[in-house]
Amino acid sequence: MAKTKDKIKYGLLRLIDLSGFKIFDPPVRLIFGEDPQKQIRDIAKFMVLPIIFLTICIWIWHVVAPTHKTKSGAVPTPKKVLVAYSENSRYGEREQEKVKDFELTGELRIARIAEVEVKLVELEKEAAEKQEVSAKASKEGAAIIQSQIAPLKIQLSQLKGEVKIAKQERKTALETLAAKVAAKEESADAILTLVKQQALTTAAEKERKKTLEAQIKGIRDDPPESIKAAQLAANKVEDEIQHYKKRLDILNGNKEVRKAALLAKVSEAKAELAATADPEVVLAKSKAVLTNSKNADGIEAQKFAPNATIAWQTKRSLATVFVGFFIAAAVAIPLGIMCGLNRIVMACLTPIISIFRPVSPVVWLLIFQIIVGAFFLPDPAKHPLFVTLNSTYWFGWIKNPIAFLNTNPAMIFSACTVAMCALWPALVNTALGVSAIDKDHLNVARVLKLGFWSRLFKIIIPSALPLVFAGLRISLGVGWMVLIAAEALSSSDGLGKFVWDEYQNGSSQSFANIFLACFIVGIIGFFLDRIMIILQKLVSFDDGSATA
Amino acid sequence: MSTLELMPDPKIRRSVEISNLIKEYPNPYGDDFRVIENFNLNIQEGEFISVIGHSGCGKSTVLTMLAGLNEISGGGIIVGNKEINGPGPDRSVVFQAPCLMPWLNSFQNVMLGVKNVYPHVTKAERKQIVEHSLEVVGLSDAMKKYPKEMSGGMQQRVGIARAIALQPKVLLLDEPFGRLDSLTRMELQDVIIDILAREKMTAMIVTHDVDEAVFMADRCVMMSNGPKAGVGEILEIDFPRPRNRDDIFHDPKFFDYREHLLAFLEQRAPIKSGTRTFSNGDFMGFVNKEGEDLEDAAREQATSVA
Repeated sequence: MAKTKDKIKYGLLRLIDLSGFKIFDPPVRLIFGEDPQKQIRDIAKFMVLPIIFLTICIWIWHVVAPTHKTKSGAVPTPKKVLVAYSENSRYGEREQEKVKDFELTGELRIARIAEVEVKLVELEKEAAEKQEVSAKASKEGAAIIQSQIAPLKIQLSQLKGEVKIAKQERKTALETLAAKVAAKEESADAILTLVKQQALTTAAEKERKKTLEAQIKGIRDDPPESIKAAQLAANKVEDEIQHYKKRLDILNGNKEVRKAALLAKVSEAKAELAATADPEVVLAKSKAVLTNSKNADGIEAQKFAPNATIAWQTKRSLATVFVGFFIAAAVAIPLGIMCGLNRIVMACLTPIISIFRPVSPVVWLLIFQIIVGAFFLPDPAKHPLFVTLNSTYWFGWIKNPIAFLNTNPAMIFSACTVAMCALWPALVNTALGVSAIDKDHLNVARVLKLGFWSRLFKIIIPSALPLVFAGLRISLGVGWMVLIAAEALSSSDGLGKFVWDEYQNGSSQSFANIFLACFIVGIIGFFLDRIMIILQKLVSFDDGSATA
Repeated sequence: MSTLELMPDPKIRRSVEISNLIKEYPNPYGDDFRVIENFNLNIQEGEFISVIGHSGCGKSTVLTMLAGLNEISGGGIIVGNKEINGPGPDRSVVFQAPCLMPWLNSFQNVMLGVKNVYPHVTKAERKQIVEHSLEVVGLSDAMKKYPKEMSGGMQQRVGIARAIALQPKVLLLDEPFGRLDSLTRMELQDVIIDILAREKMTAMIVTHDVDEAVFMADRCVMMSNGPKAGVGEILEIDFPRPRNRDDIFHDPKFFDYREHLLAFLEQRAPIKSGTRTFSNGDFMGFVNKEGEDLEDAAREQATSVA
């Protein structure tokens, strides 16, 4: 019993060690009752304190963010980012609902229509309520605003009156002085001083007026939170209503309905074809039968094209980064091995590596757009590559698993850019790993008279693997970072484009979406790195994982 | 032993003839640096030779040249009836470090060379050969163990198994026990002596250890100091085989041999009362592994031997 418990414990601990989440080590040991005092101390040090620290960071964010006003409104607070997350997931759900609705047939479709209609009625009722609340809130809000503005307005009119009088006074003073100067009772310098003084006073008065006006405008433009919240709630319901209406449209005109309509046309044309005696009608109807039945067949392959959701953008980014990463690995590892084995190859490649490694991804993207883009001319959509990658079925019967990615030239350019930038770390590390192989191991290979291939596969590659994977890990990290920029620039669908579109959109909500994308990119990057660390640990023979 | 029948006929053994062996390292600023000059030695079939000398005198250089790992600058080495040219499975080496592949277990490590040396043998027979070799070194229980799971002594046993699995004509031992504690060292010395007694291979051991040189070998070659090192003296060690450690260590002859070797080494100590007897510091930069650190090593040797 105790033995199995130990087995589970050490199995878990080994798993934690492998995955690199060392901080879960003390809690597991605590659960199995190993030295509780030490574990609790460790938990306090390495779990509780970091959590407290993060909480403080988030709190600072929460406090500081609203104080900074930008042209897209205030910087989003953590709460707004969370709201953005839930809204984005709701948006994704909606698109999925539409896709499913498009495919529904028979009874199910009828039932769904009924469901949607019931929901619509409910929603409309809710919308009316929300509208009322919102109207009331804005009325109250208007009153509040009015009450806040009123004293300011009085101040402003007072100021205006004062300014008018002061202006008059200044004018007379100036005229008097001018007369005196003309009569040579005062020096010319005196009038210059006075004019200067008066100009300063006028500027100060104007400044005061402007400040007051800005205050009034600020209050008007920034209605109280209650109004905003009520409006937001009303808009949300209105949005949902729009969605259900759209669903109803789709359900009433989905795949089944369209096909049925076309088939009806076919049978109608056939009937007319059988009945008529006019040769022209015969010709027209036979054509109608053919085109309509062809269209009816075509509908089977049709799919509802959902709008780009953040989940889809994420998937597409991941697909792009892996395509680029695998291209990079496929080029870098063999080249790196050759470099490591042969100093001449190394000498040949060193200038290329040194010159191209520092080149910015942006430059690569533009170059690839021109060079690789040329392959897809004149009409990329009809290029065999994209036709194959985007067709629903391969060879007519294998379901294409990547059809949903909607591959396009921009994606290829981004992948090539990722490959180009991710190439170098893998290449350099592989070359290093191969050339740094233990001399003694090579001596053993010589004594054992191993041939080139068994030396390569039994000695050189295994001993270089840890460094190869270290390089691949850096490559994937670089690739992920480069990809987001490449997508933003090339308008290839993905998280980069999402961020770019939101930036162009420029509303307060899209500002929160950018923050959300930032977290998604970061978290995915973190997990990609973890995966590579685990792979690296599995292939390296120094730290006890090679036995696995 | 059925497995042995699979291997090439063990009766055909080759003597080793080393004649006028020279090793030079190029020196871009003058004469080449000659580490070994006119090294002459004939080894009989089945004979066990130990080579002893000060650090950096070129003992290991001779051995690696014999193994084919180090280029020969002049002279020649004949093993059997053939002049050697590069490494070959007829001469296998046990290195100072075990040099096991950390990603292979003991069985796989030994199998590495067996596959190449016995290409015509079936898989099952190869497996037998490997298992037999590991049994001989006392590792029948540790065939699936990885190097990092084994002690230094066990790792070196795998190294020995790997060398003898090739059924070489000549077994070359390059300070094989240098990194082991004395107890393990004694155990492995016995393992080697047993193997050699059974398989009657020709063998050469390079060592620092005077006791080891006397206890194990039939003849002990004392090398003069480098540069331009050669055979200084050869001591015949007249103990019967099989040898028993206790008997030999209590034999008065043993102490005579030991004294003789020590006297030779002391007399040749490169540093005497603080003055350097050679001043080839200029060459240090170009001397590679075999000849490196002549000065430091010599100083260390002088103190440890004296």
